[in-house]
Formats: sequence, structure tokens, C-alpha cells
Amino acid sequence: MGVVLLVTIFISGRELGISGAVRDSVVATANVISPVAAKESTYYGKFLKNGHHPMDNWLDYEVLGVILGGLLSGILFKRIRKPFVERGPNVSKGRRLTAAVIGGILFGFGTRLGRGCTSGAALSGASTFAFGGVLVMVILFASAFAFAYFFRKLWI
Amino acid sequence: MKEELIVSGKHLPDIYPVLHLWHWEISLYLFLGGLAGGILFFAAYFYITGKEKEMPTTVKWATIIAPLALAIGLSSLLYDLHHKLYFWRLFTTVRFTSPMSWGAWTLMIIFPLSLIWIGTYMKEMFPNWNWKFKFLNDFEALAIKYRLSIAWLMMALSIILAVYTGILLSAFNARPLWNTSILGPLFLVSGFSTGLAAIMWLSNDEHERKVLSRIDIFFILTELFLIVHLFMGFMAGTAVKLEAFHLFMGGAFTISFWVFVVLLGLVFPVTLEILELKGFHIPKWVPPLLILFGGLMFRFVMVDAGQITRFLY
Repeated sequence: MGVVLLVTIFISGRELGISGAVRDSVVATANVISPVAAKESTYYGKFLKNGHHPMDNWLDYEVLGVILGGLLSGILFKRIRKPFVERGPNVSKGRRLTAAVIGGILFGFGTRLGRGCTSGAALSGASTFAFGGVLVMVILFASAFAFAYFFRKLWI
Repeated sequence: MKEELIVSGKHLPDIYPVLHLWHWEISLYLFLGGLAGGILFFAAYFYITGKEKEMPTTVKWATIIAPLALAIGLSSLLYDLHHKLYFWRLFTTVRFTSPMSWGAWTLMIIFPLSLIWIGTYMKEMFPNWNWKFKFLNDFEALAIKYRLSIAWLMMALSIILAVYTGILLSAFNARPLWNTSILGPLFLVSGFSTGLAAIMWLSNDEHERKVLSRIDIFFILTELFLIVHLFMGFMAGTAVKLEAFHLFMGGAFTISFWVFVVLLGLVFPVTLEILELKGFHIPKWVPPLLILFGGLMFRFVMVDAGQITRFLY
């Protein structure tokens, strides 16, 4: 993983990320539904300046590649199964999915405040010895340890 | 913003400086027309070759999609018309030099023909089916008797249908991207490939899907070959052809074409199909979904990009 991140920085001149692609998709969708409101929004507007297309970003296609590459690797190494919900033995599907959606929204919101997710901020950052990256990594794991106790029922 | 001053005696804002008359209705219709053509071609082909029992989804079940696809496609064409009530005028003349006339008349025959084809199999597909009226039963018996002739006619017309969706565009001599004779065969193989994808998605028979998959691999590789030649033709062409070429090589349609049509809609599914034939387990809906998506995207890209290209510089 570390090698992948370093090689990405070496080849493309920037860090590898995922959450940026989600942001671009959200901005592009908002721009289709309500172009005026999207341009006026302080946050969305930043990505729509000067006729710039929000999906004109290599991250979006990297994520597409991650999905297809994952599928291909799953097929080649015979790990393909029918879609299923991964969950603890004592939790219902609905509860697990609801928790995942809430967790996802909180994480997505956090990545915008922290300017990156686990891959973009923590791993890529730490691999270049950026202080912010190391800090994100430490806090990410520390908060996960701290909160794991409260959500243990979802998994055990 | 790129500004341009045009001095013209004509006030045609939908045509100058660029054509923007055709929207999603046309792209959707071209996709559904090709899809229906593909489905009906293989139904007729496998019936004629005597593989009716071996390929039940291809010959019977999948053909139900064809008239539905045509109905949706033709409705969207009608929706696109400015003077909707005048559509019948297409049928007041036969013009051999007009692709639109060829298409209109082909559809006039193949649409009811596909319904008759399904009708002859209704009792086989739904054992409790009852035609209620005697004349319908008599007609069914007559149609079953002439099924082979219907199959030959349907096969010929399905080729015309699929090829005309491309020739309709290539007949526009003022749009350099469309004005290439490769477009007809390209739309034909693409339409047949999407038809095969739809049948593969429906089929539950391992053997049938393998047969279809082998043919589909051939069609997708042919399609890629034709795409390469389409662009080689543009590269060797005049300035307006080069302009069309640059729309796809660094221009506005680069990603939508190369990533979504070629990579996601052709190269990736054909790789999966080859892996499947080699014995790897592939979720059966994945390659067809990608092929159908790629086919739809291809029509959207070609219709949108073609309208931007022009001879006026």
C-alpha cells in the first residue's frame, strides 16, 4: 500500500485519494439538478468556476478503475460471490445498513473538514512525512479505538 | 468563451453555428433500433439453422423485447417531431435514396412481423395461452406454417434496421463526423452486440450463453476494429475531419468516448467474456449490463458530437 502511494505521487505528481471523487460526483449532480444554486453555493461554487467541469479530475476515473480492478481481481482469484451484507451475528440487515449509511455520511463530512480521507490525507500524507497526514492517521485510529466500544454490537 | 461572428442571410439558430436539433430521443431510438435488430436477427438465424430447441431464449423469449424496444424507440421519435400529426407523410412515398424512407418502411414491416413471430410461440411459452377468437387461431396456424419464410424476411429486415441507424447519420454530408461510410457497419455490429447482450442476460442456459458469448466476442472485436478505422479515416482526412478527430482526442468527447464507450462498454466486457469462456466465474449480468451501457453511450456520443462538427470554419 505504501509503495502504491509513493509510486502514485512519483508518477502523477499528486496524492492518491478517494473522497475527492465523491465530492466531484456530488458537485456534478448538484450542478445538473440546480446549476444556479450550485454556482452560488460557497462550497460547490469553488469547483464550478470558469466553466470548469467538476468531473474533469483524474480521481474520478481512478475510483472507476478501483471498482473495475477490484472486480477483475475478484474474478481472477475466484473471490466473486453474490451480493450480501457483511454484518455481525446479532444484528439485523436493516440495522447494519442504517448504521453504515449514517457512518458513511459522518465520514464523508469529516473528510471535507479534514481535507481528505484515509487514503488521501492519512496514508498519502504520512508517506510524504507531512505532519498533517501523520496527525490524521493518529487521530483516525485513536478515535476508532475510542468509539469501537459503543458500536461493538454491530459486529460481535 | 469562444465567440464567433457569423454573417448569414439565414436565421436558423438551431443549425448555425452548430446543429442542436437532435437530443436524447434520437440517441435512445438509435440504440433501441439496433438492439431490436440484433435480437430479431439472432432469433431468425438460429431458427433457420435449426437450433430452435438448443437456443430457446434466443428464438422465443428474448424476441418479446424487440417490439417493446421498437415501441419505446418510435414513441421517442414521435415525441421529437415538431409536427407530430404529420408522421404518416413518411409513408406516402418510397425513396430509395433516402435512408429515412428505408427505415420507415422497414419498421412498418418488421414491427408487425416481430409481433407475429412472438404470436407463433405464445402457446409454447405460456401453455395456458388462449387466443379467444377463431380467426386468431387460424392466423396462428398459418404463421406457424410459414415460420421459415417469416424468419428469412425478419433476418433480412433486421440487418437493414440495424445498419440504417448508422446510415441515417452518415447520409448527412454537412456533418464531417457522421459523413463516413464506416458508420453503417459500425452501428450494425454495435446493434447486434447489444442484442446478443440482452439475450445473454435473459438466458439461464449455460450452453446457450456460451454460444452467444462466442459470437459476441467476434462482434465486439469487429466493432473495435471499425472504431480504429473510423479514426484512421479521420486522421487521413481534410481539416474538417481532423477537427472531428480532435473532438475525441483531447476534445470534449475524449473521456465519454474512450473511457465509457471503448473501455467500459467494449474492452472490459469482452475481457470478461473471454475469461468466462476460459472457465472463470463471472456474474452473468455484468458483461451484458456493460455492453448495453456502452451501446447507449455510443449513440449519445455520436449524436451529440456529430452535431458539433461542421464544414463551416
